[in-house]
Amino acid sequence: MLKTTLRSFLAHKGRLALSALAVILSVAFVAGSLIFSDTVTRTFDRLFASTAADVTVQPKQDLRSARLSGSVQTLPAALRDRVAKVDGVAAARAEVSVQNAFVVDGHNKSVGPTTGAPTVVRGWYVTRHSPVRLTSGHAPHGPGEALLDADTAGRRHVRTGDTLTVQAQPGTFRVRVVGIATFTTTNPGAALIYLDPAVAGRELLGSSAKATSITADAAAGVSDAVLERRVGAALGTRAYDLKTAGEQAKSAAATLGTFLDVIKYVMLGFAGVALLVGVFLIVNTFSMLIAQRTRELGLLRALGADRRQVRRSVLTEALLLGLVGSTLGLAAGTGLAYGLIRLMSAFGMNLKAAEMVIGWGTPVAAYVVGLGVTFVAAYLPARRAAAVSPMAALADAEVAGVGKPLRVRAIVGAVIGVAGAVALAGCAAATRTARAASLLGVGVGLTLIATVVAGPLLVRPVIQVLGAAFPALFGSVGRMSQRNALRNPRRTGATAAALMVGLALVSGMSVASASMSASFDRQIDRTLGADFVVQNANFTPFTRQIADRVTATPGVGLVVRQRLTPVAVRLPDGRRVTTTAAGYGARLDDVAHLTYARGGSAAALADGHLALDADYAEDHGVRLGSVLPVRFPGGGRAELTVAALTDQESAEGFGTQGGIFFGLPTLEKYVPDGQDSALYVNAAPGTRATDLRPRLERALTAFPQVQVRDQADYKELVHDQISVLLYLVYALLGLAIVIAVLGVVNTLALSVVERTREIGLLRAIGLGRRQLRRMIRLESVVIAVFGAVLGLVLGLVWGLCMQQVLALRGLTALAIPWGTIVAVMIGSAVVGVVAALLPALRASRMNVLAAIAHE
Amino acid sequence: MRCAGPPVSLTLAPGRTGSTGDREAVLSTPAAQHVPGRTPDGGPAARARGLTKAYGSGETAVLALDAVDVDIARGRFTAVMGPSGSGKSTLMHCLAGLDTVSAGRVWLGDTEITGLRERELTRLRRDRIGFMFQSFNLIPTLTAAENITLPMDIAGRRPDPRWLDQVIDALGLRDRLGHRPSQLSGGQQQRVACARALASRPELIFADEPTGNLDSRAGLEVLGFLRGAVDDLGQTVVMVTHDPGAAAHSDLVLFLADGRIVDEMPKPTADAVLERMKRFDVVRGPSGDGHGAQEG
Repeated sequence: MLKTTLRSFLAHKGRLALSALAVILSVAFVAGSLIFSDTVTRTFDRLFASTAADVTVQPKQDLRSARLSGSVQTLPAALRDRVAKVDGVAAARAEVSVQNAFVVDGHNKSVGPTTGAPTVVRGWYVTRHSPVRLTSGHAPHGPGEALLDADTAGRRHVRTGDTLTVQAQPGTFRVRVVGIATFTTTNPGAALIYLDPAVAGRELLGSSAKATSITADAAAGVSDAVLERRVGAALGTRAYDLKTAGEQAKSAAATLGTFLDVIKYVMLGFAGVALLVGVFLIVNTFSMLIAQRTRELGLLRALGADRRQVRRSVLTEALLLGLVGSTLGLAAGTGLAYGLIRLMSAFGMNLKAAEMVIGWGTPVAAYVVGLGVTFVAAYLPARRAAAVSPMAALADAEVAGVGKPLRVRAIVGAVIGVAGAVALAGCAAATRTARAASLLGVGVGLTLIATVVAGPLLVRPVIQVLGAAFPALFGSVGRMSQRNALRNPRRTGATAAALMVGLALVSGMSVASASMSASFDRQIDRTLGADFVVQNANFTPFTRQIADRVTATPGVGLVVRQRLTPVAVRLPDGRRVTTTAAGYGARLDDVAHLTYARGGSAAALADGHLALDADYAEDHGVRLGSVLPVRFPGGGRAELTVAALTDQESAEGFGTQGGIFFGLPTLEKYVPDGQDSALYVNAAPGTRATDLRPRLERALTAFPQVQVRDQADYKELVHDQISVLLYLVYALLGLAIVIAVLGVVNTLALSVVERTREIGLLRAIGLGRRQLRRMIRLESVVIAVFGAVLGLVLGLVWGLCMQQVLALRGLTALAIPWGTIVAVMIGSAVVGVVAALLPALRASRMNVLAAIAHE
Repeated sequence: MRCAGPPVSLTLAPGRTGSTGDREAVLSTPAAQHVPGRTPDGGPAARARGLTKAYGSGETAVLALDAVDVDIARGRFTAVMGPSGSGKSTLMHCLAGLDTVSAGRVWLGDTEITGLRERELTRLRRDRIGFMFQSFNLIPTLTAAENITLPMDIAGRRPDPRWLDQVIDALGLRDRLGHRPSQLSGGQQQRVACARALASRPELIFADEPTGNLDSRAGLEVLGFLRGAVDDLGQTVVMVTHDPGAAAHSDLVLFLADGRIVDEMPKPTADAVLERMKRFDVVRGPSGDGHGAQEG
């Protein structure tokens, strides 16, 4: 039996090739993502482990602040002396290292990375933990001298002797590059600028009495943990965070981990799509192979093979396919990881691809996925094969696999479909976001399954409508292609399902994102009253000098600053929330149209007051006049009085809740060194906005980190942010389409083989090659468009429900991207044409006589 | 040439019992209308000279047809017989432009088809030849009516509705037109195939074992239709068969052996054909087929 199985596998290897490709693709993505994340994690673990000091003393960090507020938490530099005196400390340093400075070169171009990796300005110490080594020039002495890392210098064409401008929190200063430092370890992609430690505190933190951390080296024979305990005893552990080298490395890796997780999840998303779509392909291939081999299987049964042997034979064949696919997929995944690592280095993250880490988990996962998916996909066809009766060997099995009635599918599909529809209706009717979102998830899952299950039932009605014009347009060729697509609804349904899944996902997401864009547009129209917004592209804070520069620009009438800060608020209902709050300068009403349920801007911005969203306030028992304890980063605490309740359409942006804001003086009191995150600018009376813009842009040439945007630009910025998400979805769609095309090719190729005699007959009675190709092409188009229609309808329903969920978060606008939908329809027809190329060619090359004689 | 002359008016349907209505359809067709634009008595419907077909090459080459000269008389029912491997199917395929020849020339009417390109051959088969095969004659996705008009649909020509009606009624297919092949009996399927071959009024109908898969009654029916097509409509039919009973319906039997035409028998009877066939077995001996090439 095994020999028969092997023979059969080898005989059909051509027909199994496309299925193998689907397995390879999904395994490659799984393996690639695992290898990549293992490699990156290992590399950074090593980096952080080697660069962390034996013991590091840092200010307590309970609210992560740097990114939002631009402020830097410090500790007294004098602590260094106390640490140095601790028994077992060989050396102690007061380190100054900030990420809130911006560095530009002589042409006002940013020196830092554009990829989101930080620009780090710090004091120059040479220790055994330094990640860099001075490779040319000399160490910086006194103000006005600096080192630059070699990667950044190379990328930005900075040479020793060039002058850089550092826009630090206390003020801007200029430095001359006196040397180049080269990474001895992996460069994580950051730009590093080193200053003389004697001046770093004053230049970067405004006082040489401040430091950002104290690092200590252990004397010989003293372990890190022992030293940490002793330092802790000397300083008191309440005020400071102490970490050993190991702990420091771990927390640094954890910060990086979230970024890596994103890449990992994206890759796994691709693997998931590949798997999901691949399953359809494999099911179809095996179903068709078995339909074609009905006679052969019947013969085996007639010769005495029992059902179990037949089933096992088919499953063994599937496992062989899985084995081959997984092995090739593992190899492809290694290549994929290598490519990703190279891509990362293009973004400045210099990983050494030679040190690729393949953990034991990678091959295990690859084979589990590869074998699992083929086994699951081949199980049903294998059962069907086992059900072949010995009589099939004798019967004339000319009409292959029209299949049993679809009653079971109809019932199962209808039940699941109704459950899914109920869940989606519940989602649309829900009033709480969490509940709506979970119902949405359930509904999407169930309706997807229902459509896949009931797909074959929809084949007849939908294709009869879709192909109705075919006979009129293409004559009997059109009629035959339409009928061929209807011939085996199960097969057509499964083939189209692959395309459907991808398109449903994309159309759903595009409705959601179009609605989001429309909502934000409407919101911007309604609330943004300023002529211009000066801001970063990625909403990070920037130096205060920019506000000064803008204010000083002639023609500027009003500048209102926005600063953000993380805050922890204890609400009357006992909940303690950590959220982002905003501080606004006076005359907020002149640049923004806020609607208040109670109170107004003047009250909200007054000293000791705050405003929050009316609905949120109601949910948490907050009333006008409530006093809320608010904690700021750095330990500042305040009791703020609720003086206004806003009634905004959307109070909740991303990562914020409650829409808390207060006056800039309040923020300044507790976060004195924060940076601005946006400036709202109005032209002075008598100055036209169009005249002001070039002046503003000229005034800000030295600050490439910010841009001047009017309402239209601002909308575009928001759209761009949303499109990033959409691009990812499009990439997923691309993969789904590639595999779906493989599926259509597969189905058509096998159908062509199945219909060899029919094609021979058609050719004998005078069907030209071109007509034959057209027939197959039209069938392919009809299948593809069928999948697209199902996918789009499903996706639109999902999109509408997603929009309902978004509406609960205040994004009430509904927009349906008709352009995208039309493009998808046309695209799916093109997909059909492309998929038909090879099968059509093959059919038209078939020898007429051989085809007629074909058994 | 017996097909020429004034309009003939004869019954096409063979005498048989049946329940469905109007069997005795009368086809009234002037031969001139039957083959428009071509002179009905301008020589044979098809002919071959030195027709040779070899499979393989060199030492292992097998001659399926060995310099065959043949004329297919217009308006006649010609049967081609011979033992397995005699090359009778190959002869038909070469005459019909389905297969290429190794040497020699083949004409359909005045058109030399050897040397025609694939596209021209396809067009020739579509417009000038009708086919009936032993089995798998019909496209399973199309109804009987759609199958009948398929060659004309492919050509983008409108069938002559009157002629079509006559053919359909003559073959008794009126109440089967909307059925798919899978809903028809074997005999009905072959009648549909016959109707398809007749519907486009081809110069020549090739029938490859048209009764091979049928029971004797259905087989007789089909043979009767072919006979009627020749007698009543002046149609030219070439039938490959190994059934002496079937061959007896023809006007002329050509006997093939080892790739050559070895004999011919005008006005055959089943017994005479059977006797002639028995002689092949004697000549060839019990070891049978020496060629192993194309099977009949």
